[in-house]
Amino acid sequence: MAISKGKELRPGLWETVNERYPGSMITKTDFVPLVKLSKPLGEARLAFISTAGIQPKGTLPFDTVHPVGDYTFRRVPSDSKPAELEIHQLKYPTFGANRDLNVIFPIERLQELTNERVIGSLTKNFYSFIGYNMDPERLERTLAEDIADAVEAENADLALLAPA
Amino acid sequence: MMGHHFGVPFHEELQKRIIRTALSRITEAEKSGDIYLFPMTWAEARLEGKEIEKKLGIAP
Repeated sequence: MAISKGKELRPGLWETVNERYPGSMITKTDFVPLVKLSKPLGEARLAFISTAGIQPKGTLPFDTVHPVGDYTFRRVPSDSKPAELEIHQLKYPTFGANRDLNVIFPIERLQELTNERVIGSLTKNFYSFIGYNMDPERLERTLAEDIADAVEAENADLALLAPA
Repeated sequence: MMGHHFGVPFHEELQKRIIRTALSRITEAEKSGDIYLFPMTWAEARLEGKEIEKKLGIAP
């Protein structure tokens, strides 16, 4: 089991992407300081945040074809069933998620882990947006801040973030 | 694999194990920016997933 600390899995990848799509990738050379959980996981409230473009059926679809991306997010009630949700995202293969949404948005597994008391509780909502956003500064300044505010308002103790 | 960060369809145990492993880094990571390599290959996950789908009678 290999553990690499503070290194990119594919060194140079971001530079390559930046050459092809100038300014489209955020380059981070520093990291947010690690904060330890203030209570046991079995007592903590978890928020799940995903770039998978998951949203409740009937809500306004993400704009998946806008040239610079969609900087909005959707609340996904954490007690939802997969059949109540749908995917609006074109930038990743969905052949697995279309059969079992949990491969990209593991809502049932998180519900089960909460029932098993591995996780204390879930926030009322999970959060989803689409990962195709070509203006990283705008993403950081608006979308990331908006989601952070929403998660904080739900009194989350920790957040699990997953790309798609 | 892209679009399958929590494993393969219907492999509930693996999906849960990936989440538990990710959450374990909260207490086990020594500093921010740690990268942890999950000890399973995509090929292994796919094989297990296929076996599960066969047992469930839902193999495509």
